[in-house]
Amino acid sequence: MSITVTAEIRRFDPSRDSEPRYDRFQVTGAENMRVLDVIRSIYEEQAGDLAFQFACRIGRCGTCAVRVNGTPVLACQERCKSHMRIEPLTPFPVLRDLVIDRSEIEERYAGLALAPSRETAHPGRPEPIDPKLAEHICHLDSCLACMVCVSACPAVEERPFDGPAFMLKLRQMAEHPADRTDRLQQAVGAGMLECFGCDVCTQLCPADLSPAQAIREFRKELLFGGRG
Amino acid sequence: MKPQLEMAIEQTDVLIAGSGAAGMRAAIAAHDAGANVIVLAKGPRRANHTRMSGGRYNAVSGLNRKDSTDAFFRDTLDSGAGINNYELTKILAEEAMDRAYDLEEYGLTWDRTAQTQYYLSMTGGGSFVRTMGSVDEGIGITEVMLHQLHARGIKILDFHMLAEVIQDDSGRVAGGLVLDLSRGVWHYFSCAAVVIATGGTSQLYETSSGPIINTGDGIAIALRAGAELVDIEFMQFIPISFVYPPSARGYTLTEPAHYGMRHFDPQGEPAHLLNNKGERFVLKHDPVRREGSTRDVLARAIMLEILEGRGTPEGGVLMIPDPRVFESFLKERPIYVKRLLENYGEGEARLEAPIQVMPSALYTLGGVRIDAWCRTNVPGLLVGGEAAGGVHGANRLGGSSMPDIQVFGRRAGMAAAEEARTVGVESARGLEKARARAEQLEAGLRQPDGVRPPEVKKRIQKLMWDHVGLVRSGPKLEETLRAFRDTREHVLPSLKVTNRSRILNREWMEALELENLLDIAEAMASASLLRKETRGAFYRTDFPETDPEWTANICVQRQGRNLRLDKRPVATLEAAKPNHSLFAAAGAR
Amino acid sequence: MNQAIALPRNTTRQAEALLHGEIARILHRITGAVVVIFVLVHVLAQAVLHAPALASLKAGAPWLPVLQSQHWIHAVLYFSIAFHTLYGLKLLAVDLGARLDYRRSLWVIIGLSAVIGIREVLRYAGI
Repeated sequence: MSITVTAEIRRFDPSRDSEPRYDRFQVTGAENMRVLDVIRSIYEEQAGDLAFQFACRIGRCGTCAVRVNGTPVLACQERCKSHMRIEPLTPFPVLRDLVIDRSEIEERYAGLALAPSRETAHPGRPEPIDPKLAEHICHLDSCLACMVCVSACPAVEERPFDGPAFMLKLRQMAEHPADRTDRLQQAVGAGMLECFGCDVCTQLCPADLSPAQAIREFRKELLFGGRG
Repeated sequence: MKPQLEMAIEQTDVLIAGSGAAGMRAAIAAHDAGANVIVLAKGPRRANHTRMSGGRYNAVSGLNRKDSTDAFFRDTLDSGAGINNYELTKILAEEAMDRAYDLEEYGLTWDRTAQTQYYLSMTGGGSFVRTMGSVDEGIGITEVMLHQLHARGIKILDFHMLAEVIQDDSGRVAGGLVLDLSRGVWHYFSCAAVVIATGGTSQLYETSSGPIINTGDGIAIALRAGAELVDIEFMQFIPISFVYPPSARGYTLTEPAHYGMRHFDPQGEPAHLLNNKGERFVLKHDPVRREGSTRDVLARAIMLEILEGRGTPEGGVLMIPDPRVFESFLKERPIYVKRLLENYGEGEARLEAPIQVMPSALYTLGGVRIDAWCRTNVPGLLVGGEAAGGVHGANRLGGSSMPDIQVFGRRAGMAAAEEARTVGVESARGLEKARARAEQLEAGLRQPDGVRPPEVKKRIQKLMWDHVGLVRSGPKLEETLRAFRDTREHVLPSLKVTNRSRILNREWMEALELENLLDIAEAMASASLLRKETRGAFYRTDFPETDPEWTANICVQRQGRNLRLDKRPVATLEAAKPNHSLFAAAGAR
Repeated sequence: MNQAIALPRNTTRQAEALLHGEIARILHRITGAVVVIFVLVHVLAQAVLHAPALASLKAGAPWLPVLQSQHWIHAVLYFSIAFHTLYGLKLLAVDLGARLDYRRSLWVIIGLSAVIGIREVLRYAGI
């Protein structure tokens, strides 16, 4: 079954344009096609100069995130709608059209030192970890760094707050048995207390994670002490 | 006089192309050995094939008393149909576990049943339960490694595509010509060693499982630099992958073994595969292992079934999973269950309804020929990971790619650092050649007329899928080689780029990729014509039997504008030259 | 047998979904503002009504009884106090470790607050 959809895409080339514009396209394709399929079709058939980013197309690299009708989503996962306004992810600088500059994001990650700060070298045999804890840490480690949560977070918009994604990774380290750094202090320094507890991040996370819950764990730790 | 092309000139000891696990592991190893390292990623650094992997990791952990590194080695040779590079395979079997401990040190918490008991499962074709894994799969592996690079302050350049390796007059690597796609600016990096970890060539095919960036750039660059390719005719097709929606088409669903009781027990039943008549067609191909067979047998069986018209209307076959495996499958691989739910439906996600599947191009079995330390025949050029050939032979075991990239990524990094220590870097050596090549590649930007790159890519992908894929034959291969020659002579010189911007010019990037894709496509088709037999993942309808005369490897090398093909005896252990002298004294860790 | 086990979420229609957190946040803000404005108006009104020094103002403030007789204003006020308090308590509870579903808790709180607001209107209407 095929359908025809309309896409309005925000176009902006900082090297040539003085201001952004919206180009309108119509695309016909499979009824279950994703926003990424629509974008790729536009590039292949209608606008060869469209700048967009994707790689894995199955929701694992996290690099195709865009805003669709105002909501940040993964383009490869979000189903197409009959009318879509497709824009780059806020509040990041735009390289061109739908592609954002991730340098500051990577700098923030690097600055948080998210490798476990070990006391000893690896013993060369299985390190004892409770199986449930291992699974929990793996779940937190499934964060794609897609920035959907950071883009949607109202606190990031209004307050000095790094964003939910960074809090989640800090929590992963806080719970990792091999890590010795005070992750709570880092989280507070990165604006953790600014979180409104609204759970928009939880609702929009394409990896089914809850950064808000990670923040709550930190808050409990702040109030009651002790490691998570 | 024409203005000189703008080019930013930089210098480093080791230049690594590729931000997947092989590239990252090489970066860690080279840095730890004291070298200055720069990692190039063609797009955002997390966009790589490792990210998409299910993260299964074959290793001999000692937890299965029946298993041994020798058994792992023999399983790999058996799966590889005896044409593996024995030395590389042995190294894989022996070093996999140590690299798994490295990942644990980096923060990866392997799945376990008890505090120190890793959770192990089976893989199709292996004889013992030895496969480790973690719930965060390839995502987890790439994340922990990325943070190790951050911890070491290693520079990673996103949107930087290695366009060519520049050599001095003696053929030694002088540096790398790199295009910063985010600005459309050329860079030249003088370096002592280039490590190619750019992954495979899955994008050569119409239906593939890999990321859009895997256009075999590094393999083609190595070929053009004079390196030898080995086993390039061997391409692994994953037997089962998603059929729809369009964006998910071709993404691996691993193997039928994982959807049945065979997941835990080598004697257990795998999920059944049925054609549109409801027949278990795999039984006629492998009556012993049935749907628990190796990927090559299964993929071929499914492809033939579809080609002979017994597939579903959407072009697949049906897999009947065992609902009893659902709970473990969900616990072990929640991300796969999520994708089944989102692409197919709840019944399929719960393993209660038939799942539609089709084969898809997954893994480049061949690649650049390397020695035990990832060195090629071009001094200063090293290759690790999927871009290298010889480790897996004619067919790869599921779960062996993850240890491969760790083991050989590390070796590539160590050898590259050694290269930097002994040879050193000369600033701006090779700059003129870099400029000349950049000028050539700039031509594509100015082309107003002709065919657009996406269209040419589709043509090549269709030809490859139809004639240089799962099912090959002499006449079709010759026809395809003629089509490739025609494309190279008439189409490539006049690729139309409609995009006037230098920033993120996808058409221009695809034009560059097309040359790489065509180079490898020609090598693959030529080698396929030479190999007159069927073996592992390589199947010819005109030579459907395995020929012991062909227990050999085909090496491909550029000679001017032509390809020279060489049939070589298999590199067994007796034939392996002792190559450890470089590190024996240093007592490599 | 498998029905009991929860599947991962289907996150392919995110842009079509109601963002509960946005609603919660906006409502919490609006109700907070309503309460603050009420307190200010209430203090001013009481001052005008009862402070002898402001008796002259009282005479020229016919709007006050009109305001007080608007039942819907009372409803809004009661809803606001109820919502702001209950949602604030919910935030406190989850910070202290309670596991509450963000969607269900929002609708329950909106429901309870609406009941309180409507009850107020009915009371004024004599029901």
